[in-house]
Amino acid sequence: MRYLLLVLSCLLSLAATAHDGMPMDMSGGNDLGATAAFDSHGRLYVVDAADGYVRLRHSDDDGRTLSAPVEVNAVSERIYTEGENRPKLAFGPRDELYVSWSQPRDGAWTGFVRFARSTDRGEHFSDPLTVHHDHAEITHRFDSLAVDDHGRVVVAWIDKRDMLAAEAAGKPYQGAAVYYSWSDDGGASFVPERKLVDESCECCRIALARTPDGNVAAFFRAIHGDNIRDHAYAVLRTDGQPSQVQRASFDDWHIAGCPHHGPGLAIGRDGVRHAVWYEAKTRPTIHYGQLEPGQPPQHELAIAGPGAAHADVAVHDGNVWVVWNQVGAEGYTLMLRRSTDNGSHFDEAREIARSNGPAGSPQLLLKDGQAFVAWNTATGFRLIEVPR
Amino acid sequence: MKRWLALALLLPSLAFAGNLQPLAASDIPDLIKPPAHGQRIIALWALDCAYCEPNLQALATLQRQHPDDIELVVVATDNIDQRATIEARLATMKMDAWPTRAYAETPPDRINYLLDPDWGGETPRVLLIRADGSRQGISGELTARQLARVWPGT
Repeated sequence: MRYLLLVLSCLLSLAATAHDGMPMDMSGGNDLGATAAFDSHGRLYVVDAADGYVRLRHSDDDGRTLSAPVEVNAVSERIYTEGENRPKLAFGPRDELYVSWSQPRDGAWTGFVRFARSTDRGEHFSDPLTVHHDHAEITHRFDSLAVDDHGRVVVAWIDKRDMLAAEAAGKPYQGAAVYYSWSDDGGASFVPERKLVDESCECCRIALARTPDGNVAAFFRAIHGDNIRDHAYAVLRTDGQPSQVQRASFDDWHIAGCPHHGPGLAIGRDGVRHAVWYEAKTRPTIHYGQLEPGQPPQHELAIAGPGAAHADVAVHDGNVWVVWNQVGAEGYTLMLRRSTDNGSHFDEAREIARSNGPAGSPQLLLKDGQAFVAWNTATGFRLIEVPR
Repeated sequence: MKRWLALALLLPSLAFAGNLQPLAASDIPDLIKPPAHGQRIIALWALDCAYCEPNLQALATLQRQHPDDIELVVVATDNIDQRATIEARLATMKMDAWPTRAYAETPPDRINYLLDPDWGGETPRVLLIRADGSRQGISGELTARQLARVWPGT
């Protein structure tokens, strides 16, 4: 009888609360996943997804006005925009424009990594292709995109083929694998993919950055031992040699779950690997550190605590910037900490922008040594110049 | 009494099947208010989370064992505009017999924070709210040891 009353009271309270405040809080389901980048002429490009199309816009006035969108895929398709999935954008050496995204398939957690390119500054795009040669209806998603110094287009993603094979063989397997491929012909085709590592986290973005010798390095949430979800670092070799994957964060965060919280990476010309990452062993924390693969990071610092999410990092000539979203009851605040001594010390956190509505993950961009933050909010895309 | 019990056990499935409700920021004070007695378990899950189904199953079993003392609310952190997908997954997991909610806001960070400031959005997440006002949050798939520690005798 008591249970019956409880059920009835639940019903009534649900009916009562269903209407409160809903329209104001609805964001229309747009996850605000976007990627922005400057080309060599200082033109800003932004990709995001809407109504089955990856769309590209550009700005010649540092984000104050954006062009009408160009559809990257001529034929609409499903596009992942939630969580840590978002369309990606990168430039080739002659401002070739490369775009990648993850396409949901019918089954849960399935996806294909898709890619298209433009050689006329984004006016026209090639027909999208599927990057991986494995076309099984399984997980290939959470794509990341970068271009190395030779103009190779490198794509890395999370892939579950090995997990499924292990499952079929009755063998234990934690998480998923990281795979990658590259294109030697400016994105016309991709070489057969290779596995970077087994047993990595299934739901966190992979951070890619260029090394001083022109390769592309990855920093990603791996799994060590029994579901210790700390991060690993590897240079993605494109010379046929195996990539060496080394543990690079040592928080010992055990979680049989999905953090939905990938790291950030920026490598200076001096080779210092500036990284930001999230863990919640005791409480939610964003860390900064300089990676020493195989050992704990140097100059590690708890950058921000509860309510802080989705940090990014950039470096230029001894200046290091870290930005993140700080959520609170009132909305989203874009926060900044800066170091002027190459990451040895950081100043206090300060607010550089605010949004009453939802905001996507912030992204640090550099143009002529000046830092900007691309911030896609419910009221529109914003490019915020970082105060000097 | 037995007939009442049978009806009571049947009611949730009649009442909530296909009845996913939005969870907006303004709904949260009610949801996290301590229950009059016993405890409320807010089971947070996501479409993207493969660890969430066994967690939800364990909590469902627990709730069935303590129907008078445990209230279970199943909350998807995905946006309610994915209603069809969320409801289909709830049905597949046989979790549609409980009150079910889905976030009315994306990205989920602000609602995550309002539910539990000490939670960074990792799933599965269990938020336990007791009648005495005490709260406990646990991230990740619950182990047998955690279940036994938090809910002794289960």
